[in-house]
Amino acid sequence: MSEPLVYEPKIVAFLCKWCSSAGSDLAGVSRIQYPANATPITVMCSGAVSPQYILSAFNKGADGVLVSGCHIGDCHYIEGNYFARRKLHLVNELLQFIGVEPQRFRMSWVSAAEGAKFAKVIKDFVEDLKPLGPQDKLKAQRP
Amino acid sequence: MIDIQDLRTRARDLLVAGEVRAVIGYRRGSRGMLAEPVVITDPSEAASLVWDPTCFHNLALYLVADRKRLARRQSSPPEKPIAIVVKGCDARAIVVLMQENYFQREDVYILGVSCETTGVVDEGKLSRHVGGSKAKTLDSAVFDGDDFLFSSAEGEWRLAAREVMADRCLECQNPFPKVNNQVFGEEKVRQLGVPFAALARFEQRGSPERWGFWQHQFERCIRCFACRSVCPMCYCDECVVDSIAFVATPDTTAEEKANRIRWIERSAVQSENMGYHLTRALHLAGRCIDCGECERVCPVHIPLRLLNNKLEREAREKFGYEPGASISVPSLVSSFRDDDPQDFIR
Repeated sequence: MSEPLVYEPKIVAFLCKWCSSAGSDLAGVSRIQYPANATPITVMCSGAVSPQYILSAFNKGADGVLVSGCHIGDCHYIEGNYFARRKLHLVNELLQFIGVEPQRFRMSWVSAAEGAKFAKVIKDFVEDLKPLGPQDKLKAQRP
Repeated sequence: MIDIQDLRTRARDLLVAGEVRAVIGYRRGSRGMLAEPVVITDPSEAASLVWDPTCFHNLALYLVADRKRLARRQSSPPEKPIAIVVKGCDARAIVVLMQENYFQREDVYILGVSCETTGVVDEGKLSRHVGGSKAKTLDSAVFDGDDFLFSSAEGEWRLAAREVMADRCLECQNPFPKVNNQVFGEEKVRQLGVPFAALARFEQRGSPERWGFWQHQFERCIRCFACRSVCPMCYCDECVVDSIAFVATPDTTAEEKANRIRWIERSAVQSENMGYHLTRALHLAGRCIDCGECERVCPVHIPLRLLNNKLEREAREKFGYEPGASISVPSLVSSFRDDDPQDFIR
């Protein structure tokens, strides 16, 4: 198979089961058009996303990683997204510190009713990633 | 100045009275003037204890080693505590370990020593001043209030403290072990450097330049895991980069081997090294007390303190969290505030 002519960034999206995953579902059933670049991975809570998942996604060639959960105060587990916010702030800072482009890691709050917002988050993410080109900084090199 | 006799007497008395089962401290090493860690169980050996600016090791590591040894023997922890000689930074490491319930307060008898205004020397800096490997052959190190005096058969050197002190000691705001059973020396601070100075300088650089720097650094990592071995916070039996629970036997199928989760490969290539060091930095967020041991033992001199300092400063500034300040507060990532920053979230 030949390489696609237009670069399409690959996004790994960690979506919480209760809000963002349902939000992406709503975007689908509402037939909202948005780029198909994101590979969704449903997790039980945004607080369950280990920094290791994010590094691993980049390592396996993701051009961008999105973590999306319930709005603050709406977490199904009451406080999971508070932990996520603190933990992923550190991940975000560390990635920028070592010189990874700030656009490559993103976090958002998308509720189950925000299908349109989910579509917009993905659309914006793809638009921001396209000028950067493929991510090769954290991608695995095989010896 | 601390009278070393006080410390020796106290250690001996503790052992004679049977209050502790061992004393972890420093003694004169076999490499010239440098100190080395020692575990004392015989009261007569207490006379060999020393305390001076060459005691740079973080002895909290040996408390962890003791715990692991007991766990391997599957014996319940002995009732008697273990005594340990600690500096301000090492005491904070012990506080973090107790915060995480790795051991309890009554399991450790903390003999605090205040660095007062000394800090510890940096071997590398010292070598540059006295000519190559001569640091190992120096006979004595004395601190006279402002300068260090080093002497050997070849002569004497008088060096200003800021020339030979470890960077972390220059920046240290808290050289006094606050949590202790007994403390030697007074609570004095002589901050010679601005905290996080190297970090602030580094952050002046642009993003591509920072990337170039770390790319170069992590290409050089040989994955000897010295940083992990020397770190008292890296006490996990099963490490994410180095699985020991998975044992491949002749019966292990190819599928089982293939399906095993390997977050980070063992091969020492830049991408995997970076994965390792970033993971380690994140695991140390809010736990690293900046004892600088990882940087000291690194055989290829990767500036690991920069990574850890970055997250330490982030925790201080954004979350008001100071590592090792108190046993009873929840750790950085197991707590939150309503007004944690979220400007990066859409």
